[in-house]
Amino acid sequence: MKKNVIKTFMFLVLLSFSSLYASVAETTLHEAATKKVETYQAQSFSEMVGGFLSSTGIKAFLSPDPNELSSHGDKMSDFHKSWGRVIMILVAFALFYLAIAKGFEPLLLLPIGFGGLLANIPIAGIAGPDGFLGIMYEMGLANQFFPILIFMGVGAMTDFGPLLSNPKTALLGGAAQFGIFGTLVGAVALAQYTPIFEFTLQQASAISIIGGADGPTSIFIASKLAPELLGAIAVASYSYMAMVPIIQPPIMKALTTDAERKIKMSTLRHVSRLEKLVFPIMVLVLAILVLPDATPLIGAFMFGNFLKESGVVDRLSDTMQNALINIVTIFLGLAVGSKLAADQFLVADTLAILALGVVAFSAGTAAGVIMAKIMNLFPGNKVNPLIGSAGVSAVPMAARVSNKVGMEYDRSNMLLMHAMGPNVAGVIGSAVAAGILLSLFS
Amino acid sequence: MDTNLVVEGLKFMGLGMGAVFLFLTTLIFLMGMMSKIVHKFFPEVQPSTSSSSSNTQSNQKKVAAAITAAIKFHRES
Repeated sequence: MKKNVIKTFMFLVLLSFSSLYASVAETTLHEAATKKVETYQAQSFSEMVGGFLSSTGIKAFLSPDPNELSSHGDKMSDFHKSWGRVIMILVAFALFYLAIAKGFEPLLLLPIGFGGLLANIPIAGIAGPDGFLGIMYEMGLANQFFPILIFMGVGAMTDFGPLLSNPKTALLGGAAQFGIFGTLVGAVALAQYTPIFEFTLQQASAISIIGGADGPTSIFIASKLAPELLGAIAVASYSYMAMVPIIQPPIMKALTTDAERKIKMSTLRHVSRLEKLVFPIMVLVLAILVLPDATPLIGAFMFGNFLKESGVVDRLSDTMQNALINIVTIFLGLAVGSKLAADQFLVADTLAILALGVVAFSAGTAAGVIMAKIMNLFPGNKVNPLIGSAGVSAVPMAARVSNKVGMEYDRSNMLLMHAMGPNVAGVIGSAVAAGILLSLFS
Repeated sequence: MDTNLVVEGLKFMGLGMGAVFLFLTTLIFLMGMMSKIVHKFFPEVQPSTSSSSSNTQSNQKKVAAAITAAIKFHRES
């Protein structure tokens, strides 16, 4: 009797265990089923070849997948998936040509161009959220981190000596910012009076910053105010910076007389080390008091400059001037390139941005030259109007152009150092202008 | 469109250019003041360069004297 009871008990225990095991097995089996949707299934060889052929780039270009989404997860038109990509790849090649054969800002146009090439590859999704370009974009461009780092490096490379020895040339750097605000008005006028373009004030502001001729500032503002236009704005900004030697001289010559171009400026006084050391702090304090919205840019810029002028941390300033800015340039260029995807770049707005960019740039150049002529109406040391064009902040290219044009008319007239004053003031000026635009939208 | 964008743009321009010039004019004024203060209270002393040059000059004199002495000694002997 007792034996029987034990037997039944054992049997029940066994039964309960087995049922438990069965249920466990069932759930694991179920999980496995949901996980292994994409398990390999035996195919015939012809099916495999067919599958491979349908996953080639040729197929993707010729008859794109109707369900394919852009890197933002939006629907794309068939044109943007097929011929648009081919066109953008050709645009990337054109950028390579400009950079290598013509020497236009190769440090930026090559990474941007190659980023654009990679971003237009179908299927791979390199510019998508999981692709490496998409990761770079999220890492440093969507949050404005890379432009700030570039500013640090530029700060560490900048010498404020020429500006300190002739402070009034800072006005030229201010006048050149007219390029920004004049274009802002032009862009909103286009939006208001033409049916084709519909720029919001934010987008117009982001576009107009191209007139500051300052790549990092343009990217900083564009990614804050109008990230959808970032690719076109960055490309326009850097291409025009590269084309400074072509765009500026005709404007400079048109606005000046022969006598003005031959004005010799008095030699620059010596600037003491302490002055150079106090200057970055002074600018930063002024920015803190007047325009805190500009302090991310000015703060990073002055940090780099302060470390350089301190003279005690050569290792750090050396890293900023070389290793850091080089690494960030690679990332920045590729991340900007990721915005050259066909669905974002091949739109009517891009043409308007390219056109407005060159207007902005020319207006800035002209305003700087005219400001120099106005300054000459007042008593005091005369200013050669050719350095006015250096008020756009493309450092040091714009200053070199001033020097070159000056030398065309008088071999002995060295304007380079004089032009560096407005040039670095232009960097401060466009950072201030950027801060104002940000403050207006915050 | 209820707001005239062009008017808004012109307002932006007025404020923006005004602020840029205000900032830079203040900066010019501060730069002038700062330079004056620095030159008045912390004039850049350049004794290191002048002393080193005078040192080298006297060194050169000493070397020249030593050479002439050596030549004289050589001729006499």
